[in-house]
Amino acid sequence: MSEAATLERQTTELVFELQQGRVFFALDEDLYPRDAIFGAAYLFVDRCWVFLTRPADGQVGVRLRAKDPSADEATLTALAGEFANELLNQVVRIRVAESTAQIREFYMAKAFFADQAQSSIDALLAELDAEELAEDDLAIEVPWEDPDA
Amino acid sequence: MSTHTLTLPHRVVQTDHLGFFRYTDIGHGKVVLTNDAGEWSILPEATFRAFLAGQMGTDHPDYAPMAAKGFFRDALDLDDMAAKIRRKRFYAAQGPHLHVMITTLRCNQSCRYCHASREDMTKSDVDMSPEVVRHAVDMAFCSTSPYICFEYTGGEPTANMEAIQLAVAYANHKKKTSPKTVDHSVVTNMSFMNEEVAEWLMDHEVLVCTSLDGPKDLHDWNRGWQKREYNFPRGVPMAGSSAYDQVLRWMAYFNRRYIERGKDPDLWHIDALMTTTRRSLPRAREIVDLYVELGLRSLKIRPLNPYGFATKTWRQIGYTMEEYLAFYEEVLDYIIELNLQGVEIQEGTAAIFLQKMMTPFDPNYVDIRSPIGSGTGQVAYNFDGRIFPSDEGRMLAGMGSDFVQIGTLGETSYAEMIGHPTVRSLVMSSYLDALPACHSCFGAPYCGVRPINNFMESGDLFAQRPNTPKCAEHMGIMRLLFDRLAQDVEGKVEAIFRRWTIQRPRDDA
Repeated sequence: MSEAATLERQTTELVFELQQGRVFFALDEDLYPRDAIFGAAYLFVDRCWVFLTRPADGQVGVRLRAKDPSADEATLTALAGEFANELLNQVVRIRVAESTAQIREFYMAKAFFADQAQSSIDALLAELDAEELAEDDLAIEVPWEDPDA
Repeated sequence: MSTHTLTLPHRVVQTDHLGFFRYTDIGHGKVVLTNDAGEWSILPEATFRAFLAGQMGTDHPDYAPMAAKGFFRDALDLDDMAAKIRRKRFYAAQGPHLHVMITTLRCNQSCRYCHASREDMTKSDVDMSPEVVRHAVDMAFCSTSPYICFEYTGGEPTANMEAIQLAVAYANHKKKTSPKTVDHSVVTNMSFMNEEVAEWLMDHEVLVCTSLDGPKDLHDWNRGWQKREYNFPRGVPMAGSSAYDQVLRWMAYFNRRYIERGKDPDLWHIDALMTTTRRSLPRAREIVDLYVELGLRSLKIRPLNPYGFATKTWRQIGYTMEEYLAFYEEVLDYIIELNLQGVEIQEGTAAIFLQKMMTPFDPNYVDIRSPIGSGTGQVAYNFDGRIFPSDEGRMLAGMGSDFVQIGTLGETSYAEMIGHPTVRSLVMSSYLDALPACHSCFGAPYCGVRPINNFMESGDLFAQRPNTPKCAEHMGIMRLLFDRLAQDVEGKVEAIFRRWTIQRPRDDA
């Protein structure tokens, strides 16, 4: 069996409740970091009213109420599926972000450190440009080779 | 109440092997990955899962290209990544390059979507004075950007041609003692154009951009003349005439004269902007055909913005973002189809995103970048000397809310303007790496949010990302582009897209 096929066989189960136009998940923070839950829920604020609760210690309750009042059970089930997928994606994103945080800090600092130095030179040049060159009382702008100077 | 169980494919993640990346499912079983340097890869879902699980070996055909792009930690070249990011975000170390000058609010058109809150032509107190013009040019030359572009807009900016002429002359004078590269452009409805003005604009290499919304009936419906005769003080016989005819007449004149002057028509021609109203939606192909027929090489499709008259006429001309994106997709696909037949035309917004996606550079388009260009990439000088971080800011002021004003010409220094708390707020509210949802979005390396638009729509500079139309628009366009690339087995679409990213400077001509 190929590696991809092996991965395909591994699954995650997620329980949800449907009640009166709403979908409810009770999510364990040990499995789903709080930021992943918040991140997934946030992406649904265009379609749903999102309520977050604390049903038990270490659990976050996510209740999604469809803004479309005509949403039927099939729609809500699809919504639950989308949320579950997004939750798993958010977990991946958070794990990747955490594991690469120091690397990113390093290359971002390196990228912008050089620009900051350049920026200060540009700022100095601009300051000089901003001065009124016509009012050159000390004749600094006049070349010293100029015999009329 | 009923209880259900979902069974989902498990995501095994071996983070030790992975560089930082963002991703999304773009359909057809494909996943697109992007990273901080703007590099991207499109993978089949199964390959993506093997990548996540650390099971993509060095002998996998996608390994080497992905490693070169920085997706594998083991092969990550930190110096190279930093250099790529620095090149992409070069604008962060520069000041405003786009200096919008509202030479007047007067205008003789009455566009149904007018964002600028125009005034009647008889108004005498809405023109930019010579003193304000000089202060504006002085301020622009203080910018730390090595390139500056003056964009004259209004109202109808050529109704105050004296201000444009003074600004060009004064900028040319200042340029003698400045290393900056300076461009001028005017956005005009052509209603006050005559040969004298046209020749002067060409003599002084002022780029000319106009509006062309589509076929005659559509353009004239969107962009009608004002009804009162006193709005045509130069005696231009507008009553009963067509705005469309006026635009086409002068487009032809300019394009002919550029060639007669020995200019390369690929670089010197009239550019046109197209604004989408509800009546545009069923006419995608007609609009593209018109642009092709007129020899225009770029059609930039723009949605309505929530400013000025558009807020009052929304019921008549507005649409949902889903409707707009369906229209956009039809236009894009038709333009690709024409390109495959050898016709040279591009879609402007796609070209901006493609430059970000397919070249090592960024076009520094002020409305689509992180942070947004408002205040740090562009500044708008109102006719009365008030300074705003962008043209949108002064449009907001035109609607009675001037809280985004960042100074007054003649009173405010460059340092005060650029360091204004409002500019800082706009940077904070548009820096994608720090915004909820944007920070993990696949489009973050290419996208940009517009805080002033957000404020107009929700009363909040940050807004809730999924509820902002700009998020839906930009994400929709990026998904379309990646989808077309993913389905492009023979590489023909990629070749077209790459051609759209080529930008020749006008001084080549």
